[in-house]
Amino acid sequence: MSAYVVRRVISMILLLLLLTFVVFVLFSLLPTDPARLTCGKSCTPEIIEANRHRLGLDLPVIQQYWEYLKGIFVGRTFAKDSPDPVVCSAPCLGYSFKRGEEVFVLIKEGFPATFWLALGAFVLWLAAGISVGVYAALRRGKWQDKTVMGISLAGYSLPSFFLGLMAIFFIVIRLQLLPYPSYVSPFENPTQFLQTMILPWIVLAILYAAFYMRLTRNQMLEVLGEDYIRTARAKGLPERIVIRKHALRAGLTPIVTAAGLDLAGLLGGAIITESIFSLPGIGSLAVNSVNDADLPLIVGITLVTATFIIVANLIVDLLYAVIDPRVRLT
Amino acid sequence: MGMANKGLRLAAVGAVTALALAACGGGSSSSSDSSASGSAGSGEPTKGGTIYYLTNAEQFDQIDPQRIYTGEDLAFFNGTIYRTLTAYKFSQDAAEGTSLVPDLATDTGTVADGGKTWSFTLVDGATFQDGAAITCADVAYGVSRTFATDVITGGPTYAISMLDIPTAEDGSSAYKGPYTGEGQDLFDKAVTCSADGKTVTFHLNKPVPDFNYTTTLLAFSPVPKASDTGEKYGDAPVASGPYLIESNKNGKGGKMVLARNPKWDAASDTYRGAFPDNWEVDYGIDPKVIDQRTMTSSGNDETAINLGVEPEQLAVVFKSPTEANPEYAGRAISTLDPYVRYFAINTQKVPNLKIRQAIAVALDREALRKNAGGDFSGDYADGVIKPNMGQDYAPTGMWDTLLGQKIPDTGDPEYAKKLIAESGEAAPTITFDYPQSPTADKAAAIVVDSLGKAGITAKPNPIEPGQYYGVVFDPEKAHELINAGWGPDWPNASTIIPELFTPTGGFNLSQYDNPEYNTAVDAAKVELDRAKQAKMWQDLNTQAMKDVVVVPTRFGREQRMTGTKIGPVYLWPAYGSWPYGQMYAGQ
Repeated sequence: MSAYVVRRVISMILLLLLLTFVVFVLFSLLPTDPARLTCGKSCTPEIIEANRHRLGLDLPVIQQYWEYLKGIFVGRTFAKDSPDPVVCSAPCLGYSFKRGEEVFVLIKEGFPATFWLALGAFVLWLAAGISVGVYAALRRGKWQDKTVMGISLAGYSLPSFFLGLMAIFFIVIRLQLLPYPSYVSPFENPTQFLQTMILPWIVLAILYAAFYMRLTRNQMLEVLGEDYIRTARAKGLPERIVIRKHALRAGLTPIVTAAGLDLAGLLGGAIITESIFSLPGIGSLAVNSVNDADLPLIVGITLVTATFIIVANLIVDLLYAVIDPRVRLT
Repeated sequence: MGMANKGLRLAAVGAVTALALAACGGGSSSSSDSSASGSAGSGEPTKGGTIYYLTNAEQFDQIDPQRIYTGEDLAFFNGTIYRTLTAYKFSQDAAEGTSLVPDLATDTGTVADGGKTWSFTLVDGATFQDGAAITCADVAYGVSRTFATDVITGGPTYAISMLDIPTAEDGSSAYKGPYTGEGQDLFDKAVTCSADGKTVTFHLNKPVPDFNYTTTLLAFSPVPKASDTGEKYGDAPVASGPYLIESNKNGKGGKMVLARNPKWDAASDTYRGAFPDNWEVDYGIDPKVIDQRTMTSSGNDETAINLGVEPEQLAVVFKSPTEANPEYAGRAISTLDPYVRYFAINTQKVPNLKIRQAIAVALDREALRKNAGGDFSGDYADGVIKPNMGQDYAPTGMWDTLLGQKIPDTGDPEYAKKLIAESGEAAPTITFDYPQSPTADKAAAIVVDSLGKAGITAKPNPIEPGQYYGVVFDPEKAHELINAGWGPDWPNASTIIPELFTPTGGFNLSQYDNPEYNTAVDAAKVELDRAKQAKMWQDLNTQAMKDVVVVPTRFGREQRMTGTKIGPVYLWPAYGSWPYGQMYAGQ
């Protein structure tokens, strides 16, 4: 088991290195000139060249990449030879001259909103999705099953911008049941936090729950048909135990996979939901960085998001062994 | 200011391209054009309350006065926290709303030496937010910051080009700004203070009859030297106007709150109304949610303002491109913005006038406008000066007489073929440069199609928007037909005609160099009689259209609205913005 973990971690690091390299090279091949973007309408070629040098963009790509990589571990200083150098402390994921801030700091600032949004929605959709999915599976073909699956289909088909706008319009603007969303940390003002997050949680959860209901139902139906379930029942185990300990546990594996990856993906930002509910998360940051052609920020976000997914993958694989006794990690 | 693509506020505020940065200047609505505007709220200005400024932007591009260069931001900060020597009158009338009034100065400036020396005497009682009196030294210091081009980026650089300071060998100013101090003595000779510190005098390198318009820019507003933190000054700027920044948190869900500046002396400032107790800029709100909130106008949103209406709501809010539906009358406006969209024709590559005429004649301008959003997106243009420029505008007759006969909006391929036959050349093959976007791709298809009907082969050349102006300003890389847009920096065509049509201009995409024309432009630039100057700009505009240096396609139009209790509601011609300094929250 521990050898497996070590192996996986090493390959994960290699994968991340490869990823940083590909992302970095890809972006340096873009026709956008980051030096040009650093100054305004009255820009002269001299200023552009000076800024290019300040940013270290006059170095060969490979050397730029090396500087970047080094910056992640030991930090780096831009414009070393100017009277006004810019220090980017480790872990330095680059410096956004567009925003005058370290990329790592920007991502760190965006992370809490995205994290809480993802976590809250995740809990809601798993709870709703799995319980309703199991319920539907146990009443397979009956009217309860059909109703639940019909509703889930509808929920699955609703685009989040539509659902989000409707929620804001009726609940906030028309009925004024909740104040306008304005994100604060839950530790600072829990009430305002909940008031801001409740709608985006529900909106996001509805979309995902629909999928998990169907997934859970199908998994359960498949597992319930297995021989060992028949054996368990034949042994005289109470149906409650058969469902919980034998059927659900085995059926969970693909659900865990999907959930882990969905959660990791959401940690990279839920773009539409964040936009509609004015949440200062990574999704909004990503959109803005693309609109502004803020290359260091785009690269930074891409890396962080990819890291979440790679790490989630590892965790999911490890969880398999815990959930399903048939899986052995070697 | 140039612009890369069609989205106005997007191009001007959001966008990327530094070149498309500046949106300052002189749009306006003539009274005939503003039937959709009027005063909502309680009619009479009321003190107190809060005005909520709802925006999708997550921060202001710049808060540092010397770096602000977008029209809306100039108007907002000038109306609230920064005073300038001169300012534009609050009025929705095109002429009046672009006329000058004194602000920090006692009058609109004293000119001497044939336009080369300008003096402004400061009013008594004007102070910064710490109570310190504003002196000539503070004004001079503010201006000097412009010269630190490596620190104070993004703002207008008129001070550099106009002040009488020698240039270094590389063409840059010999004065490098207050931070290095290199060449400080040169600056101190160009901007001088009277012994009592009350009068500031600018010595210019050539006559600038409209220099007092330049001084409306926040780049000419005072900055106390002791509080200057260079690049970071915008984080904690010192207010001179009726409000100060109480708090500012950028990003979605963030806001900027302006509170009253207790040291501001109303007696020293007859320019601003300073009606609401607070301003709250709510950042990062989804545009669709902004529409929902302003249209519904409940609770705080009764005193909310926005900067644009999403396309899908236009038909709900407006009856026509000039008139709001009854439900929104008095609080929704649709008026001309500051921009003119046009295609520049590279006169070096298309030297034959008949061919240029054929291109103009063949273009289907109706299809182009429809593609841009139809009549809500703007009116057909007949030149590069818009009707909302006040006295500088006169119809050029571009589509009625200038091209030899009346040209329909859909183009006239048959007549274009005739012009090509007369040119003595074969039907040309040209390339159309444009900044790529889905809308622009469709526009390019229209260009190719409509020119093709006249036998002109056009090849679309989409360019990545961030690179666009870098490419088309390079004479080696620019092709025959170049997509462009321009808005003036202040309401004088001196910020349009010389920029667009002379070799020394900053935006001469047509590479037009006509000695006779250049001489006429130089004469107009230094003409001190404003009415005479206006006539000269009108003629030069017509002349350029006659010579088909550009094909004007659209006078841009924009829509915006407020809640039910805001007044006055009109687009201020000076900046094509809300008249912030005069707005109030009705009770």
